[in-house]
Amino acid sequence: MARFLTIGERIHVISPVIRKALQERDPKPIIDRAREQVEAGAHYLDVNIGPADRDGEELMPWVVKLLQQEFPNTPLCLDTANTKALEAGIKVYDRKAGKPIINSADAGSRIGMIDLAAQYDAMVIGLCAKEGIPRDNDERIQYCTEILDRAMSAGLDPENILFDPLFVVVKGMQDKQQEVLEALRQITEMGFKTTGGLSNVSNGCPKELRGLIEATFCAMAIQCGLTSAIINPCNKMLMDIIKTADVIKGRNLYCDSYLEL
Amino acid sequence: MPYKKPSQKFGGKIREVTIGSGLKLGGESTLPFYSFDGDTGAKPAIGMEIWDIFPESWPQSLKNIFGEYAHDPVKWAKYCIEKSNPDFICIKLEGASPEGNNKSPEECAAVVKRLADEITLPLVIAGCDSDEKNASVFTKVAEAVPDKNYVFLSAVEANYKEVGAAAGMAYGNIVSAESSVDLNLAKQLNILITQLGVKPERMVMNPGCSAVGYGFEYVVTTMDRIRLAALDQNDVTLQMPIISPVSFETWKVKESAATENDMPEWGNQEARGIAMEVATAAGVLATGSNAVILRHPRSVEVIRNFIEELTA
Amino acid sequence: MALNGMEIYKMLPKKNCKECGFPTCLAFAMKLAQGGTQAEKCPYMSDDARAKLEEATAPLMKTVKFGTGDRIYSLGGETVLFRHEKTFVNKPRFAVMFDDGMNEDEVTKKINNINSVNYTRISEEMFVEIAAFRCSTGDKQKFISLIKKVVQSCSKVIPMIITEDTEIASAAAEEFSSLGPILYGANEQNYETMVSIAKKYNLLLGVKAPDQANLYDLVQKIQNSGYRELLLDAGGRNLKTAFDDVVNMRRTALLSQDRTFGYPSVAFVCDMTKDKMMEVAMATLFVEKYASIIVLNDMDYSMALPLFALRQNIYTDPQRPMRIEQGIYRIGQADEKSPLLVTVDFALTYFIVSGEVERSKVPAWILIPDAGGYSVLTAWASGKFNAKSIAKAIKDFEVEGKLKTRELIIPGKVAVLKSDIEDELSGWKVIVGTREAAALPAFLKDYLQERAS
Repeated sequence: MARFLTIGERIHVISPVIRKALQERDPKPIIDRAREQVEAGAHYLDVNIGPADRDGEELMPWVVKLLQQEFPNTPLCLDTANTKALEAGIKVYDRKAGKPIINSADAGSRIGMIDLAAQYDAMVIGLCAKEGIPRDNDERIQYCTEILDRAMSAGLDPENILFDPLFVVVKGMQDKQQEVLEALRQITEMGFKTTGGLSNVSNGCPKELRGLIEATFCAMAIQCGLTSAIINPCNKMLMDIIKTADVIKGRNLYCDSYLEL
Repeated sequence: MPYKKPSQKFGGKIREVTIGSGLKLGGESTLPFYSFDGDTGAKPAIGMEIWDIFPESWPQSLKNIFGEYAHDPVKWAKYCIEKSNPDFICIKLEGASPEGNNKSPEECAAVVKRLADEITLPLVIAGCDSDEKNASVFTKVAEAVPDKNYVFLSAVEANYKEVGAAAGMAYGNIVSAESSVDLNLAKQLNILITQLGVKPERMVMNPGCSAVGYGFEYVVTTMDRIRLAALDQNDVTLQMPIISPVSFETWKVKESAATENDMPEWGNQEARGIAMEVATAAGVLATGSNAVILRHPRSVEVIRNFIEELTA
Repeated sequence: MALNGMEIYKMLPKKNCKECGFPTCLAFAMKLAQGGTQAEKCPYMSDDARAKLEEATAPLMKTVKFGTGDRIYSLGGETVLFRHEKTFVNKPRFAVMFDDGMNEDEVTKKINNINSVNYTRISEEMFVEIAAFRCSTGDKQKFISLIKKVVQSCSKVIPMIITEDTEIASAAAEEFSSLGPILYGANEQNYETMVSIAKKYNLLLGVKAPDQANLYDLVQKIQNSGYRELLLDAGGRNLKTAFDDVVNMRRTALLSQDRTFGYPSVAFVCDMTKDKMMEVAMATLFVEKYASIIVLNDMDYSMALPLFALRQNIYTDPQRPMRIEQGIYRIGQADEKSPLLVTVDFALTYFIVSGEVERSKVPAWILIPDAGGYSVLTAWASGKFNAKSIAKAIKDFEVEGKLKTRELIIPGKVAVLKSDIEDELSGWKVIVGTREAAALPAFLKDYLQERAS
């Protein structure tokens, strides 16, 4: 069984520093953000360039090459709704460290991303959603099935899909938390890989609570089968919990120093 | 539907470690002898065990073979090389034992130095039954034979700091990390030794050995799990080659040690000793050992053929 | 051929009716592929799909049997490639090869060796289970009389009849059918007749082809003719090829989940070498991976001691460690004044302790109480190795009647038991022994000296 896969979320257009750096093609802030995540133990780095309607086809290859030059052992997760930007990014992507992940497909307008993943032998995050947040787990599993049907006709091995049941914010959607965990369990029972954005869960909570909430949710989700997550790797408690869960799940042989690895 | 031959490809690979001036151990990315799956790495190596003192406690059959040479480790080693052409010599410093001859570290170092000067094969240097004494002995010996890539068998939990610092770092030799069929400790010890600053390519491991019939299932399972962690989980802390001192275990058990007077129905004692050594060696090779240490020339011959046939 | 979840899903009605108890057809398909539910739970499946699915959910490796009476042996039925994943279930059986072209002396020597190797090791009787007979002369009478001679002289062996000649096979099968022999020799040319003979007498049938691919085709044909009591031989007669054969047949069954190779296999070590010690090495490999019958040229004590011991180890259930029988064991020429030690009934502990006592050359007794089969500290912590269980063993095994000594040496790790035991056993003195068995020889010598002075 493969170890839990962590995808570092901190190169995101929503951050003012990153947004500015992307606009100005300024490498340093981007590389700094990448370095702190790689050093904290992130396996993949997510690169969210936003919709980038105007210059995505040029921006994505630039940032892919920049990061791969600096961190040749860290594969990337290319995050944009702009198909042309994704294609351009994948074309310059070096697969030595691992396949690129496309973030993301869904069962609605972005289902074409499945075809793209099949065409370029990439992995893809499959949001179990169509329009907005799914109403319940019947909907989630329905969308999951639709994505699978599409994958089968496109010739994409389901091994390459990370299903995201859509984590929801605890402050405001507290009653939905168990349902999300149950969706993870169902998707896992079908034999598929899963992922999700942990910061969704703690959104809007006080800063001092966010790390704890994410770490606790992550531990509970791993027991329901979660195999990867999009996270802030600089949250040491979360990283330690993920390592410990890998030991308890038998994905990593125990030794006294396991946290130091 | 036609036959589709199965195949297992792993992400991990056993590190290749060079001992002496060119004997390579490890390098495989498959389970042992699974040549149908990919690169099986270097051929497993065979070493012969000699002592720094006359081996009074060995069965008579072995003393009949080596007795004439066994008063001098250099003569003994040369005889082994001439007769059996092993890949390396294992000099066990049994004379260092505080319960026995209690030789000083300096005396031990002199023996190993003489061997190093007189023979070209790589040496594996094994200690006595005292971890504390081994720490001081290995420190002196490593100093006497610097930068030789000799293997020091072994660093254990109680003395890894001294052994690692001397053999692995200061004097350019190779450290064998030993744990007794405890895979969590095997991993931990590898980490602790690398954290001292010993490079992984200067390490091998002995995760424990026993004779067949004597808890050998624990040896097999520990090695199976170590190899699967190294290959399948790509656990870099367990990708060191494995060395198994088979002869240390097999010649003292009843099947090998009982004389024909003790057990008349069991028949020839020498044949029993060889068979126990051969079965144990084949048994550990089949589960992932990269090197075995043996005593009897016949066992060396058989195990060499066994390896040749499986790697042909 | 096993089906994966997606393949099953394609065969389902895709109604998501939930009547099977799963939220979607896909979830049901996935569960079915893992063996977690049954095909019949789906009310809307076509008959054709149902038949395919039932085939796909049988055990991956079949358990087959041979022999007679209290000597019926099971082979196969394995579910894992490594014993730590669960356990290995049916141990391989050893066979000694006879040939009807052999001279009298050779036959007699093998018979004598088979009859002499017969002993008990940790509650398991060790002996050669199978005598294999190869018909190389083509002389039916000669062949049958050889088998007759051996099975009459060696009361425990089950014969394995090896011939590709259907007439000889039929005669030998009829002659020895009451012993439940193995009939080996079905090939591409003769399989229809061989299957009918095996069917008639309900025998385990050995199937042979020149390589894995040809064997695969042949097994499919035999399965289609409705016979599934099979033993496989993909033809490898050198170590490398034979190892490739057994590993890949086992992986085809358990990893590829293809039941065509879901049968036990046989390794003819006797054809791979004439060197006895090389046979030991090769047989060791095949015990670990993954032959179910291992045919050797001969079996004397020097071969049996390591091979049977290895087999016993490898086929121990990891969840149930081996236990040694309770009792009082005599080491060397111990007499009524010799030292008495006590340790636990965990087989490995007993072997290590008894080995060290033997190494010390001090004759002694070892008392083994009921300690639950655990190691010393575990047995003590779980309350199985304590003053009561030790006192009970002293009483049950009439130690006070047998021995004059009233001193008991206990493991150093349970020194705390000293006063408890002395309270429980009046007139006894408890001596705290060593923490590690390796220190026993020195300890015993000191102990004897001290007692003498």
